[in-house]
This record gives sequence, C-alpha cells and structure tokens, in this order.
Amino acid sequence: MPGRQLIMTFPVTATSHALPEYRARGGYGALAKALGQMKPQDVVKEITASGLQGRGGAAFAVGRKWQVVQYDDGQPHYLIANADEGEPGTFKDRWILENNPHMLLESMLIASYALNVRNCFVYIRGEFDLPYRRLAEAVEEAYAAGLFGRNILGSDFSCDIVVYRGAGAYVAGEASGLISSLEGKKGYPRNRPPRLTVKGLYQRPTVVNNVESLSNIAWIINHGADAFKAVGTPKSPGTRLFSVSGHINRPGVYEVELGYPWMKFLDEDCGGIPHGRGIKCVVPGGVSSKVLTGADIANLKISHEELWDAGSTLGSGGMIVIAEGTCMVALLQVLMRFYHHESCGQCTPCRHGTGWLHRILDRIVAGDGRADDIERLYYISKFNDGTTICGLGDAAGYACSGILDKFRDEFEYCIEHKRSKFGGNLECLRSS
Amino acid sequence: MPEIFINGQAIEARDDQTVMEVAREHGHFIPYFCWHPQLSVVGNCRMCLVEVEGRGLDIACNMPVAKGMQVFTNSEEVQAHRKAILQFITLNHPVDCGICDKAGECVLQDYHYEYSGQRSLSHDEKVRSTKFYNLSNRILLDNERCILCLRCTRFTHEVSKSMALGVERRGDVSNIRPVEDRPLSEDPYSDNIIDICPVGALLSRQFLHKSRVWFLQPTPSVCPGCARGCTVQIWHRKPEWKLKALDQRQNENIARVTPLDNPAVNGPWICNKGRDLAQMFERVRADEPMLKGRPVTVPAALDEARRLIGAARHPVALVSNWGSNEELETFKDKLGEVFHCFVKQDWQRQPGERIEDDLLIRGDKNPNTTRARELFGHAEPDFKDGTDLVLVWGEGFDFARLPPRAGIIFLNSYLQPENGHADVFLPVSIQTERHGHYTNFEGTISAFEPCFEKKPGVLHAEDLIKALAAPARGHP
Ligand SMILES: Cc1cc2nc3c(=O)[nH]c(=O)nc-3n(C[C@H](O)[C@H](O)[C@H](O)COP(=O)(O)O)c2cc1C
Ligand code: SF4
Ligand code: SF4
Ligand code: SF4
Ligand code: FES
Repeated sequence: MPGRQLIMTFPVTATSHALPEYRARGGYGALAKALGQMKPQDVVKEITASGLQGRGGAAFAVGRKWQVVQYDDGQPHYLIANADEGEPGTFKDRWILENNPHMLLESMLIASYALNVRNCFVYIRGEFDLPYRRLAEAVEEAYAAGLFGRNILGSDFSCDIVVYRGAGAYVAGEASGLISSLEGKKGYPRNRPPRLTVKGLYQRPTVVNNVESLSNIAWIINHGADAFKAVGTPKSPGTRLFSVSGHINRPGVYEVELGYPWMKFLDEDCGGIPHGRGIKCVVPGGVSSKVLTGADIANLKISHEELWDAGSTLGSGGMIVIAEGTCMVALLQVLMRFYHHESCGQCTPCRHGTGWLHRILDRIVAGDGRADDIERLYYISKFNDGTTICGLGDAAGYACSGILDKFRDEFEYCIEHKRSKFGGNLECLRSS
Repeated sequence: MPEIFINGQAIEARDDQTVMEVAREHGHFIPYFCWHPQLSVVGNCRMCLVEVEGRGLDIACNMPVAKGMQVFTNSEEVQAHRKAILQFITLNHPVDCGICDKAGECVLQDYHYEYSGQRSLSHDEKVRSTKFYNLSNRILLDNERCILCLRCTRFTHEVSKSMALGVERRGDVSNIRPVEDRPLSEDPYSDNIIDICPVGALLSRQFLHKSRVWFLQPTPSVCPGCARGCTVQIWHRKPEWKLKALDQRQNENIARVTPLDNPAVNGPWICNKGRDLAQMFERVRADEPMLKGRPVTVPAALDEARRLIGAARHPVALVSNWGSNEELETFKDKLGEVFHCFVKQDWQRQPGERIEDDLLIRGDKNPNTTRARELFGHAEPDFKDGTDLVLVWGEGFDFARLPPRAGIIFLNSYLQPENGHADVFLPVSIQTERHGHYTNFEGTISAFEPCFEKKPGVLHAEDLIKALAAPARGHP
C-alpha cells in the first residue's frame, strides 16, 4: 500500500457500494455531525483549514473557492460535482462512482449545507455506464432513506440532487463548459471574469468541484482538519487517487499518500515495467501535464510541490507510464489528434492551432517532415499558452512543448531520416 | 471613478466599463473582431489581447477596469501575439479576396496590413468547407471565410430575436448553420449580419459580385419605408468611376443600402425593407408633363394648372406624406390658403410585411406623416359637395374616390395609369434626386442628400409648388 488510505478503505465486493454497507462503515455519520453540531460557516472553516486541494487538475484550494460564495446573499447557489473525467489516462473518479458513490453523495450534502445550496448536480461523463448506474442507484437509496429531499435527518436543511449525463465532449469537463452544457447549450467554456463562484450556473454563484475533491469532505468532517493534514506533506495534505496505465505490470486505480516515493510506487505497488524495461518517461497526471523522464522522477516524491518544482503537475491523477523503446513522435501525434478533435472551436488560437499541430505531426510521422517543423510546433504551443478562454488550448501546447523539450532529438531524427527512430512503436516490446 | 493608465496616459474610467470601452473613448485603438458595441461579449477571437502590468496578457473586451491598472495596447508581446492570432485566423482561410465582395472593407484585410503583413507559416493543406451555402433567399454563407466571431448568431439571438443561426460541429470544422424551424428568411432584420460580419463570409445575394466597393460612394439618406425613418447610406458609383460604355444604367443605380449609425433613431441597424430601396426608387419613372395624357412642355403644363387653380371655387389638395419638411412647409406657405388640405397616406402595408415590432419597424409605412399632420391636421380626405378641383400629390390614391366632375392636377414620380387621367400631370423628382428632411414618429428630424441628377422634364416639388403659387403668365 502506498501510504495511508482515506477513500479506498474497504475490500470491494458485489455489495460494498450499497447504502447498508456504507452505513456499516460509518457512512452518513459526517452528515449527522455537520447538521447536528456545526454551523455552515464552521464547515467552510474546517475545509479551508484542512488545506484540501482540488483533484480535477489545477489543485486549487477547495476552501478558498468556497469562501467566495456569500452564504446569505439572497441568491440561489449551486454545487456541481464534476464527474466528466475526460482527461486521457484518467479513470480514478470512476472508482469512486462505481465503488463508493455514497461517499460522494454524503460529501455533497455536507458541502451543500455549508454553501447554502438547495439544488446540487452531478455532471457525469456520457460514456460512463456502470458508474452512472451505481450513482443513480445510490441517489435512489439516499432519497428512500430521507438523505435527500426536505428536512434531511430532521433538520431545517433541504437539498435535492440531479444527475446529468454529458454527451461526450472533453471540453464539457472544463468547469464553465460543463455549466454551459448543463444549461442545455453547446458546451462552450466562458471567459472569466465573472468567476463561476460569482456567476455560474444560471448566472448564480456556483461551486464546481471534482468528484474526488468532494469525496474527501466527509472524511475531513468526521476526523477534523488536523487529522487530514497529518496525512501527506505540509503543502500537499491528504492522498490522491491515481489511475495508472501504459507500460506497467499492474495498471489500475491506486490511492497514494502524498509524499510517497515515485519509483517505489511504480516498482513495488504497480509491479514495475513489463519485460524488465526501463522507464522512458511518465505522464504524471493526464496528458495535459508535462511529461517527466525516468531520470527526472528517479528521486521524486509524489506531491504537488515536487511536481511543480520539476516543471509539471499532478494534474488529474492520470498517470501513464511509457517504457524505453516507445516512439515519442507517434505518441505526440496521438495526443495532438485528441486535442484537435476535442477543441470546441471558440478561440482562434486553439481552434486552428490544435489542427495545425495535428497536421504537422501527421506529416512528420508520414516521413514528410520539414526542417522548420519543430520551430513551428513550438510557435503554435507558445501562442496557445495563456491566450485562450479555457485550458484546453494551453494544455495542447504544454503536452507538445513538454515532449519536444525532452525528446527533441527523436523528432529531428524522424524529420531527417523520414522514419521513426523507434519504428513508430507505441507498445512495450519484449526485446528491441 | 477608478483611475487607470493606458499606454501611460492617466484616464478616469467609470466603474462599469471595460478596458476596451475606455481605450476607444480615449483614442487608444485596440483591434477586435468579435467585440461589437451592441452585442454581448463572447471574447473568442482573442485579437484584443493587451498587456496589463503584473498580470500578463488578457483580452480587453472582457476586462473590467480596476484602480491603478497599467494597460499597454502596443507592447512587443502584444504585437507578437496579434501577429500570431492573424496567423491562426488565416491558417484555414481561403484568402480569396480577389472574388470576395467584402474586399476593401474587410477587417481581416485591414488588420493583416496593419498588424502582420507576414506570409502564412503553414505548409499544410487548409481545412475546406462550404462555399455559397444558402442561408436564406437574401444571404449566402461562405464557411471557409468565416472566422467564427459569432456576431451573426448573437445578432439573431440578442437583437432581431429570430434565433435563426447557430454553430454546428466543433473545433476547426465548426460551421455557422441555420437553426431548424427558425428560417432566417423570416427575419426582417437579417441583412444586418452582412454588415457586422467582419469578413466576407455573409454575402448579400442582391449585391453578389455586383461591384467592388471602392467604385462606390455612400450618400447619407433616410429610409422612407416607415415612420421610423432610419438613417441610411445609399451607395452608388463614384463619378470618377462612371462607366462610359457597357451598362451605363449602373451609374444611376443604387448599388446597395447600409445603415448610417445613429443612436437617436436606428442605432447601427435597419430592416431589410431599407436594403431594398432600389426596388422602390427604380420603378419606371414619369419624365414628361401631360395634359389629359398628351405630352406637353413644362411651361404649358404649369400654365394650365395655374388656370385651373385660378378658376376653381372649392379646390382640395391631397398632400403627400412623402414630401420633405421643406416641401410641406412651402406648400403650407404658398398654397395652404388656396386649397383645403388633407394629408394623404402614400403607402400602405404590403402583404407579408411585418406590421410593427419593438425594434425598429413601424406600422405607418410612410416617412413624414408627423410633419404633414403638424401642418395639415389629422382629418381623412373628404370631398364636400362642390369640390371642383383636386390636387393629388404623390402616389397611392385611388382616383375612383375623386369627385366625378372635379378637375385633377396630379404630381407623381412614377409611370402609372392614373397619370394619363389627370387634367394636368406634372412629374416630380424622388428622394434620391434632392435635399430634404423628414420628421420621424418620435419627432426626430433627419436629412437626406441627392445621389443622382434629375431628368430635365422632372421638377422638384418645392419649385413646382412655388411656380403654381405664382400668378399665371399674362395675368399679373
Ligand atoms: C479542457 C479541460 C477539461 C477538464 N476536464 C475535467 C474533468 O473531466 N473533470 C474534472 O474534475 N475537472 C476537469 N477540468 C478542470 C475543471 O475545469 C475544474 O477546474 C475542476 O472541475 C474544479 O474542481 P477541483 O477544484 O475540485 O479540482 C478540466 C479542465 C479543462 C481545461
Ligand atoms: S481553448 Fe479551445 S476548447 Fe477552450 S474555449 Fe478555446 S477553443 Fe474551446
Ligand atoms: S459568418 Fe461572419 S459574423 Fe458570422 S461568425 Fe462567421 S465571421 Fe462572424
Ligand atoms: S425600420 Fe422602417 S425606416 Fe428603418 S429601414 Fe425598416 S422600413 Fe426603413
Ligand atoms: S474582441 Fe476581444 S476577444 Fe474578440
């Protein structure tokens, strides 16, 4: 086990996701505690004190986001759990939705109580089938048990929940794109200002948090902010779920205590690289985070601060391991195809830049590269950075310049020799 | 009143303003495609990126002013980014300016010269899309030229409220498309999207490949289509580009009509009827005076008219509500005592035409009812026993309603059967041939200027009225 666990605390069985077993594990105790013993402001204080950071990508402090919402401003407020989970390589929220949906629901109730929310939403990825069914069942169970609806647990607090299924756009996972989609419009992200906590869903103050961020709330209310801070590192309290995929012997979802040594995690917990190969690089947290080479991570611990220092981020927790012998040109081509396909097309640099990146890579892979292509890829990446409405344009640029920075020679080789240094390989081969 | 600094200049801004608005007010031009003063902010073109000290680059059109902020609209960073935005915009743009009606007044062309001038940095094929997509009976869409600024969709959602346009698909294959069940052809304001499209993506079918815009000049005018009296620009061939052979009619034709931005009356919009003034003004004209259908000279016709007026005991005048303020005032002054005057409605609502709405269109389909009524009252035309002469000024009156034995003096501009039934027929000039003013339904006065010369046999109504009031020749 990579450190202490707060979420994946029980053996998964055919019934472990259901309400009775959740209750048996102490479930909905935090809700009773919050409603019975805490004022809404106390809940916000506790979450702020815990230092919990967002698990959706940007690691923004959850408490700071919540503090923007004025409890008594006379407007309706909304809370949305972001269950769109579209970042390539990321499938960790899925574990919560399938195996511990009540943990999310209990946490959302506590958050709604704290933020004066009468109606909350889960925006769930359209392709999710089992996670959706499990979540929908859990919502039914919770309503039947009086955990949603009017006067929850005999208190003055009332709250309803709607589960809304997306239609398969990555960009609808971006918080404001999600809101546009939830409002029934095309999933176009919106410019800030106004911030969503000022004008979000239906132009009302809205908090959007990732599924995993929210799921930590119940634990924090149960055990207190200090107990939470005792887990992880001072700058990265708590644990994070990682979905590990790629060239690794035991892919899957792991809960890692922040500050855990990276190589130890990959070698011991995840069983190392197949066929005893070395690590070429890892995508630390979804393809929008910059890659780190095997050498970069050799002595790194898994924490926000160490990743930032190394020039990358823990992002969405989608960790992709890439073995020696993989062609980075072909890999980047796959990534750029993704961003090109997913750009919503609002902003000029992203609408055209993502396609341009994709076409250049198609050409290089086809053996038609030009000497100025690398410079051009950098140019496009640079002018997508910080010039777009949402982070998708930036992310395409980061992914591209991140790989170019570390593996420029492979691109030069491919352009010069009109073929890949590694035969365009994306598999983890037995021998070279 | 936060004080902000733009390029070092201290400016008192209002709290609710954006940097874009403040910069424009104070002469610091920031280029933009998607921003429009009358539409909501979408901030998608990214052309208006400016640098804010301590904050880096962000778009000016969506940037609220903040006390003490230092904005730079032309720093090196800003210039480099503008160049890049233009590279991205033209990446898949066909650059077919040679066959594009917008050439010469295209924002993309202007900005390319002003801010880039670079060749494309791309070696790859462009994304192709639909050209000449049929948006409505009036408008064609070239999706390859479209830069997706969403001005057209916002216009149909926020101004005309037809909701007729939307975006189909996403990314670099996004296409502006009509919304099912909401036909753009039923939007009487649709042609405004042609004007506000910053590029040549929306094309007027009427104007398609008719003329390069630099051969044309605009003359300020007023749309007579309804009592709103929108101020417009009537575009016609420049004198120095007059055609000397081939289709010389083009020299005298209205090439197109566009709005003349006017906050007091119509803002930057007009309705499609205003675009179609050519259909109204280019009907076949009457250009010869007649006595009972027989062509005569102008003096002969005037003499006969004066004789009839002098002999009449109970003359009635039906005054045109298409007359300018000047003409109406002259009539009142010179002939108001001679005739018993009524205001005549020259135009009625046409079948299918929108009656009235709360944007521009008014139920009264005439330009100057306000001034005409001020001078001549509200009574409906009424012929008492003994009416022995009727002066009819302008079209639209059914001659069967005239008293059977009364004489008729008819002032009209177009070739119509009634002309030959009048005892005296006098052809008069139309709005595009003279100066004048109209008073709209709210009392706002707007001026129109001549675009073309009148024909020799045609008279300006004002001169004609004065001549009719003068004593007949030989009878001092
Ligand atoms: C293109 C794009 C896609 C995103 N997709 C997701 C997603 O699928 N799930 C998610 O939780 N956050 C996603 N985000 C981040 C959200 O915008 C938002 O920051 C997050 O949901 C906030 O939650 P947190 O503060 O709890 O992390 C995405 C961001 C971008 C720019
Ligand atoms: S950056 Fe890309 S995905 Fe995001 S709003 Fe702009 S065009 Fe859409
Ligand atoms: S058609 Fe013109 S106005 Fe409409 S989005 Fe395209 S460029 Fe903008
Ligand atoms: S609203 Fe009336 S005045 Fe304005 S353009 Fe239309 S018809 Fe002419
Ligand atoms: S004008 Fe500001 S982004 Fe288009």
